[in-house]
Amino acid sequence: MSKTPFAWGFALGALLAAASPGVATPAAVPTLIGKEAPDFVLKSMEGKNLRLSEYRGQVVLVNFWARWAGDSRQEMAALDRINATYYRAGLVVLGVSVDEDLRRAHEFAEAMKVGYPILFDTTSNIGRDYLLQKMPMTILVDRSGVVRYANVGFKRGDDRAYLDKIRELLRE
Amino acid sequence: MNFKHRIVSIMLRGGILACACAVIAAAPVLAAAADNAPPPTAAAPGADAVATSAAPDGAVASPGAPLPDAPAADFKTLDQEVQGMKKDVIDLNKDLFVLQEELLFPANTQVAVYVSMDVGAFFALDSVTLKIDNKEVKNYLYTAREAEALLKGGVQEIYLGNLKVGKHELVAFFTGKGPVEREYKRGATITFDKGVGAKYLELKITDRVTKHQPEFKIKDWD
Repeated sequence: MSKTPFAWGFALGALLAAASPGVATPAAVPTLIGKEAPDFVLKSMEGKNLRLSEYRGQVVLVNFWARWAGDSRQEMAALDRINATYYRAGLVVLGVSVDEDLRRAHEFAEAMKVGYPILFDTTSNIGRDYLLQKMPMTILVDRSGVVRYANVGFKRGDDRAYLDKIRELLRE
Repeated sequence: MNFKHRIVSIMLRGGILACACAVIAAAPVLAAAADNAPPPTAAAPGADAVATSAAPDGAVASPGAPLPDAPAADFKTLDQEVQGMKKDVIDLNKDLFVLQEELLFPANTQVAVYVSMDVGAFFALDSVTLKIDNKEVKNYLYTAREAEALLKGGVQEIYLGNLKVGKHELVAFFTGKGPVEREYKRGATITFDKGVGAKYLELKITDRVTKHQPEFKIKDWD
């Protein structure tokens, strides 16, 4: 048996990955980019209901996280720093927990002490609408409500990529 | 006009609109091609002579001459066409929406439920859950802005669906903050008869001043 099919597959995968910078999963996330962000209304930790479409006209960063996803803690800390700097410029950061255990998700969010609203998805509709496959996942929605950037997982340097994209969207 | 005619009419209008879009999109390309084309040789000497006699000091054209106005007029016409097309798109969209509503929710099976709120001093609305014939059909969370819009007199269409003719039961659960900021959950029920025509129901939240309590009613708009 030759290794040719594997080599071709690898080359194709590498080509796809190179064609979509900043996008970690080639399968699910690109289908969201360029499309209108699915609307949602969720209850926040403070008890208020927040709807994504009510932030139309502002740049919105939505971070989907779960307590059991190791990178969520690091990413939330990084997003808190970004929020502290850019909320005056019109950036809105929303954290959305997709954790099934609501009580423990609350405890986790309280321990993180982030300055942006944390919302809780109790219906699992968000996972279906946003094609969530791996946690954490972050998307950037432009002023007209279109998803412009998505990142799955979190590693060192991703926050730098977020900043570049946020600045670009805030300038539009 | 029946459905078939309306669909054909909408398709025809859509086609005409698409053609118009293509022509307008192609216009700048054609104009650019025309600009790049070499000047006609026969007319060139005469035109040069006119330009030379009108502006002997080397100016290309004097102010108010008809030539510079021509592109402006073209743009105006183009702009009017674009505006006209935008209006056509809006009209077409409206017709499609009405058609979709009629197809998805025909009048003989249509049931629409609305929410309205009056005063609201004793109740801050948080969510409404609707059950029809013991099946949950809607759970709606209200943002502060939406609750405020209801208090200002807005009426929200919370549910639109289809039901067969006969008796049905609607149960609505309202949650929110009651008097003295206390968690408040109340239900209201109505049994209604669905006839051949569309059915409209209204969930009304009002204040009962004498009891210092909110009141939840379901009104059947026959």
